[in-house]
Amino acid sequence: MAVSPEVPMLVAEDVHRQFEGIHAVDGVSLEVPRGKITGLIGPNGAGKSTFLAVLAGTLPASGGRVVFEGEDITRLPAYGRARRGLVRTFQLPSEFARLTVLENLLVAAPKNRGDSLFGALMGRRYWIQDEERLVDEARRLLRRFGMGAKESDYAGLMSGGQKRLIEIMRALMLHPRCLLLDEPMSGVHPRIVEEIQHYLESLRAEGLTIVMVEHELRLVEQLCDSVFVMAQGKLIGSGTMASLRRQREIVDAYLVG
Amino acid sequence: MNTFYATNLLVYAGVDIIACIALNLQFGVSGITNFAFIVFQAAGAYAASVLSMPPDSNPDYSFQLYVGGFQLPFPLPWIGGALAGGLVAIPVGLVVLRKLRSDYQAIALLVTSIIANTVITNARPFLNGAAGLALVPQPLQDQIDPRSDEYYYFYIALTAVCVGLVWFVAARIVNSPYGRTLRAMREHELAATALGKNPVELKMTIFIVGGVIAGLSGAILVDFITAWAPSVWLYPETIILFAAIIVGGRGNNVGAILGALLVPVGLEEVTRQLIQMDIGPPNLIPALEWILIGLFILGFLWFRPEGVRPEPRRVFRGGPDVGEVEHGRLA
Repeated sequence: MAVSPEVPMLVAEDVHRQFEGIHAVDGVSLEVPRGKITGLIGPNGAGKSTFLAVLAGTLPASGGRVVFEGEDITRLPAYGRARRGLVRTFQLPSEFARLTVLENLLVAAPKNRGDSLFGALMGRRYWIQDEERLVDEARRLLRRFGMGAKESDYAGLMSGGQKRLIEIMRALMLHPRCLLLDEPMSGVHPRIVEEIQHYLESLRAEGLTIVMVEHELRLVEQLCDSVFVMAQGKLIGSGTMASLRRQREIVDAYLVG
Repeated sequence: MNTFYATNLLVYAGVDIIACIALNLQFGVSGITNFAFIVFQAAGAYAASVLSMPPDSNPDYSFQLYVGGFQLPFPLPWIGGALAGGLVAIPVGLVVLRKLRSDYQAIALLVTSIIANTVITNARPFLNGAAGLALVPQPLQDQIDPRSDEYYYFYIALTAVCVGLVWFVAARIVNSPYGRTLRAMREHELAATALGKNPVELKMTIFIVGGVIAGLSGAILVDFITAWAPSVWLYPETIILFAAIIVGGRGNNVGAILGALLVPVGLEEVTRQLIQMDIGPPNLIPALEWILIGLFILGFLWFRPEGVRPEPRRVFRGGPDVGEVEHGRLA
């Protein structure tokens, strides 16, 4: 699709999400620039994860519009958005426990002729070429993320940090154009945090757009090109971390200490 | 052991194996807790019956009331039975599988099973109500005498062909990338959705495929026993099949076959032998059978939840050489 570089990757227009009267997301409008890492910060219960879920479609919006690469996707279900390249990860581990690490990646791969009832019934010869191509691709990704030796182990047996990596690799198998990461570093060993940080930087260098919810402000400062701040379901500020630190009300709301 | 007895055993084994493979596709592989499974087998049985029977105006059949009566030649009633199982799966699936959470799906399907049985029992003009259908014509009965040994062998062969066919289809599904997607949905539906999989479409497809196979199993059974009534497809029949899958090994086709041979076939046989030994008051042994099935399920879920033959771990060629990992021992 030919989209001019000026069109933002992802636009939220007055997005609302209510849960039985509670306004978790209360009229958020923002634009996510292409090829950058955008941070989303705010205190617990600010509505960051809910907002991310509405962007990804895993929760429907109660109001407003979500536009992805110039196209209104508000009514598109989550699987349709993923197929278009808007892929999210989860805050809690969401690996396919009884599938191997390699299989976790293979599941995510689109364009496998064997991934339909018809293709399956046609037999191995019909899909084996796709499968072998994708196994190669998944193995390259596993090696890049230092998990090549683990491919045949059950994903459920991996450590918390490794599950985070599986989550990111799985999303990358879809060749996303925009990655929505929900606290990708939470509960992860500091060494793996550094690794993930390094991987995200290299993905940005390859042109991937990333939106990440993150609590660790030091990381946000190092990683994110710009930052949005949410509190009580509303967007209360945006800019670089340095400029946000100069704004009194934002410091009061969140950046204390 | 006479030929009829052996045939009986083998045909029942074949029918149970086919049913267990279908339920394994739904429950073991895809995580759909289909507590209404027996309804789809019944749909196939009823459909095969009314497709092969003459109309109920026929003097030999006028003691019963039913719709249809098309006198179709074999194998059309069996094909019709399979289609009926799939057709019934469509409305049930559309109601149950789209919006409900998976634990509520199980309850809704259990209730569906009970409602279906109650309706068929009481709506007599439809499929003869509680008395059920009798004198169902058998395949090619005007060419081979159904009481001859040759016919028994013929029927065993027919059943075996169907088992082979169903095995072939199930193996292709389970061992394909599509089967992997189904297993992923079973493990974490939301994550699979976020990776571009449409869970409703996947569940509906497998619900219908399982319904078709269940319908075929019903057709095979009814044409062998030549009668069908609501009392043979009460919801506990589904529980026996679940016990078979849990004992055999969820997600493993070989396990489904083993489970079918151990639970419905094996247990029935043991019970039959015990009944002949005249132990205790009448009905004691059949009642104990249910307790035994319950204990089987509990025991396996407690001590060996992965079953006799667990789902295999899939290792791809050309990967790093890794040591043996214990199968299925995951919480």
